[in-house]
Amino acid sequence: MSKTTVLDLRELRRRQPRFTGMDPGHRACQGCGQSLAAHIVTEAAGPDVIVANATGCLEVFSTPWPQTAWRVPWIHSLFENAAALAAGIETALKQQGRPTKMLAFAGDGGTFDIGFQTLSGMIERGHNVLYVCFDNEAYMNTGVQRSSSTPHAAATTTSPAGRMRPGKRHLKKDLLAIIAAHHLPYAATATVAYPGDIKAKVRRAMAIEGPTFLMIHAPCPLGWVHAPELTIKVARAGVETGLTPIVELERGKLVSVLPIREKRPVTDYLRLQGRFRHLLGDDPVAVQEREHLQALADHNIETYGLLAREGDVRDSVTAALVRRGGAIR
Amino acid sequence: MNGYDPASLARAAAALPGSSLDYEVGSWRELRPVHDHRPAPCHIHCPAGEDAQAYIQKVQEGDLEGAWATIAAFNPLPAVTGRICPHPCEEGCNRGRFDEPLNIHAIERFLGDMANARGWRLEMPPLAEEAPEVAIVGAGPAGLAAAWHLRRAGVKPVLFDRYPLAGGLLRTAIPLYRLPRQVLDGELERLFDAGITFRGQMKLGRDLFLNELEQEYAAVVLAVGLQKPRPWSVDGAAPGDLRYGLALLEEWIDVGAAPLEGKIVVVHGGGNTAVDVARMAIRAGAREVHLVTTRALPGAADAIGPEDHMQAFPREVQQAIEEGVVVHPHTTPARLIIRGARLKAVELAAIRAFKDERGRTKRVTFEGTERVIEADVVIPATGEIVDHEGIEMLPRWRDYLASDRFGRIEGRPGLFTAGDASGRGGSVSAAVGDGRRAAMAVLLHLHRIAALPEEDAEAVSVEALQLYYFDHAPRQEPPLRPVAERIRDEKEIEPGLDAAALEREVQRCFSCGNCLACDNCWNLCPDFAVLKTEEPTEDGSCYVFDYDFCKGCGLCAAECPTAFIRMVDEPTPAFGGAG
Ligand SMILES: Cc1cc2nc3c(=O)[nH]c(=O)nc-3n(C[C@H](O)[C@H](O)[C@H](O)COP(=O)(O)OP(=O)(O)OC[C@H]3O[C@@H](n4cnc5c(N)ncnc54)[C@H](O)[C@@H]3O)c2cc1C
Ligand SMILES: Cc1ncc(C[n+]2csc(CCOP(=O)(O)OP(=O)(O)O)c2C)c(N)n1
Ligand code: SF4
Ligand code: SF4
Ligand code: SF4
Ligand code: SF4
Repeated sequence: MSKTTVLDLRELRRRQPRFTGMDPGHRACQGCGQSLAAHIVTEAAGPDVIVANATGCLEVFSTPWPQTAWRVPWIHSLFENAAALAAGIETALKQQGRPTKMLAFAGDGGTFDIGFQTLSGMIERGHNVLYVCFDNEAYMNTGVQRSSSTPHAAATTTSPAGRMRPGKRHLKKDLLAIIAAHHLPYAATATVAYPGDIKAKVRRAMAIEGPTFLMIHAPCPLGWVHAPELTIKVARAGVETGLTPIVELERGKLVSVLPIREKRPVTDYLRLQGRFRHLLGDDPVAVQEREHLQALADHNIETYGLLAREGDVRDSVTAALVRRGGAIR
Repeated sequence: MNGYDPASLARAAAALPGSSLDYEVGSWRELRPVHDHRPAPCHIHCPAGEDAQAYIQKVQEGDLEGAWATIAAFNPLPAVTGRICPHPCEEGCNRGRFDEPLNIHAIERFLGDMANARGWRLEMPPLAEEAPEVAIVGAGPAGLAAAWHLRRAGVKPVLFDRYPLAGGLLRTAIPLYRLPRQVLDGELERLFDAGITFRGQMKLGRDLFLNELEQEYAAVVLAVGLQKPRPWSVDGAAPGDLRYGLALLEEWIDVGAAPLEGKIVVVHGGGNTAVDVARMAIRAGAREVHLVTTRALPGAADAIGPEDHMQAFPREVQQAIEEGVVVHPHTTPARLIIRGARLKAVELAAIRAFKDERGRTKRVTFEGTERVIEADVVIPATGEIVDHEGIEMLPRWRDYLASDRFGRIEGRPGLFTAGDASGRGGSVSAAVGDGRRAAMAVLLHLHRIAALPEEDAEAVSVEALQLYYFDHAPRQEPPLRPVAERIRDEKEIEPGLDAAALEREVQRCFSCGNCLACDNCWNLCPDFAVLKTEEPTEDGSCYVFDYDFCKGCGLCAAECPTAFIRMVDEPTPAFGGAG
């Protein structure tokens, strides 16, 4: 590649008509959903933020010493304390009279499991922090170990699919319900399949003075065992099957859902991913587990009222519709 | 570096903070995304060669004149084809597999009308003093298109026609309610303004001779159409006052009357002429109008194959039936009942179509199905053939002039044919496309181009699109004028789109195979390796891949709604070469 092109592209990158909180050159795997989600969140949050990042893939792939992908102030301390770190900095900022918004970023391991206590405390004390959990449903950075977010029956290195057991024995923890029990001003789920929806939710949360929580479903091609180009399709299938409910809560109460346009069977989701490959056969265990997952999806659909109703006007932001000139807003 | 002082760091001072931009993860890539413009099906299906995707895009961008110019670069008659072309583009349109096809012809017509209203012109190279002159015989759509493309290449076309005015069947045969003549005149004015010479009342074989033309001109194109009716009788019998359909139609268009008032009229034939003659009879006040055809109705289930359908365009047949024409499909006139020289009745018989052992379509009449309908007039409209007067010596294919796809006539370098006369016609758009190809062959003959255009590539299929990103939206279609009103005058029966409907309609286009500027790739690349440019790049899109950082995940290609991104093998760097 000629020198001039290199220079031109660097210059062009500098002039992109949007704010970016991260630069490329980071070491995320090809097609990483978490990387995409973090880009989208930081774009929507804007430059006046400080990010406290728990240990995990995002932290590791974005800061390979001596480089950083971050274009906003960013701090890493431990696996278990992103919320505490953010709460501390937020308190200091408040003392200094600076309005900068704190963001706390963590994976599902750092949120559902090891960082759960500091998260609960941060919300309970009412810190002005937007906590974002990038939910890739396992401890990916250390080699795909199961977490309490790993879905039932998914295979991980610590919940392998074998003769004794078809993947993870336990259910995915209903973290949103626990968060909701804190009666915080705003909590929501989102998915990389709907970037416009993520941005809208980040902006909503940013405007709230107080603790807010956003959980983004972020496929991991490595851990979920799917081709890297399928990240969006996998995420979208999660929504359309009902396995990934996309909802918004205010003070613990459901205020909106991303409706399912066309309900699909859970096998449409399972088929795309190697972590569920053992569930696709005709053996009785596979059949039963598929039925179980279908029942869980149906339960979500019923609990949250996810099916689009006749005559519902389709919200074009959340439906990700496009036309010439970009997404329809 | 930004006023940063390493000494201020107490520890780890060896590490200068660097950006990840210093690390080019593009080296991980095995596949690379590339922009890949492939033709949309609307483009492949247009016999005139128009690229609807391209001009609809221009309309979406607000550049109406550019949109028209995109059409006019292929077809000089968009206001005409926008009205009367059977629009096979719409049959091909991928949107038809989603909800309803784009109303492409209405968009084309809107642009054609606007061009005529505003006097838009395509830029032309000046005609050099020594520019070669090419004679074109026949100023129908094929001849006009050939002239247009020759003129655009700096060659001087001279059009000859036996009639005083140009236009071919567009002027003489297509009814006014389908094609108002000021529309045709608007298009012709632009052609003649561009420096195309027209010489009317010059008939080949009477005022002009092929060998003289070949001597005087650098090349000759024969675009004489089909003018002679196929001789018609039923078992040798015909009424003494028999008039052929095309001649009646021409007279009706020319003088505004046809001697059919109060008559029971039987039209024989299944093509456009037959249907237009039947509709003329309705308008001329006929008491009953019967259309008798050995073929099946368009789209009818009892057709044994596509070749068994009436050749007339389905839309025209449907409108004729609405207007009161009684169609008798799979039927033939078996006998004319004539008293004196006058027709009294026509005996009809049912036809069965079938395929013989060699797969050819055969038709037999069924004995015992004969019935007699009272009739005052029978009008044959079973097709026209080339009038070979003055060109008897040329090779033939069936009744047509034999030539290759580009109109080249074997053994006669410098002589070309195009349009209906070549047997590759049948519609205005086909004639226009054929005229353009003949012009290309002329330019090759004159050494003004190096090669003929290649066959079109395969079109983007609907399966390749990401339909998830589109919502359903109704096709914009203004209603036809009501039957009772439209058969009483000559005014156009199909209205055009207004500006608001045009805007809604163009927004429905998927932009198959070309960039929709939807930002999906820009938004969804996990590595920010897609950059937006301020001006369109060489491939026409406003996006470039930054291969320094693209890891080749393929996500952008998988989520490009229009299949404009394709993953290809990463070129392996030459041994020892820098990456
Ligand atoms: C009644 C009718 C309705 C139709 N409706 C439609 C329709 O709705 N949509 C559609 O797409 N197509 C329609 N068609 C078909 C379409 O009109 C023709 O396919 C098209 O006009 C062919 O163009 P052309 O240039 O090859 O021939 P023509 O249009 O026939 O032009 C040939 C020209 O050559 C001239 N010419 C002929 N012989 C000589 C000679 N010896 N010397 C000098 N000049 C000569 C003629 O005067 C004429 O001007 C219809 C045809 C008919 C007959
Ligand atoms: C206290 C502690 N225990 C274990 C680890 C090792 N460790 C680092 S990252 C990680 C998993 C992170 O998983 P998750 O939070 O889900 O994020 P992901 O990598 O999946 O994005 C673990 C176990 C650690 N850094 N600190
Ligand atoms: S392991 Fe998964 S989450 Fe981690 S960088 Fe790779 S794709 Fe992303
Ligand atoms: S959707 Fe648009 S580009 Fe695609 S075939 Fe139809 S008109 Fe052509
Ligand atoms: S999404 Fe980005 S990284 Fe992936 S292939 Fe496309 S440009 Fe490359
Ligand atoms: S994703 Fe959209 S913007 Fe990108 S190349 Fe495809 S059509 Fe163009």
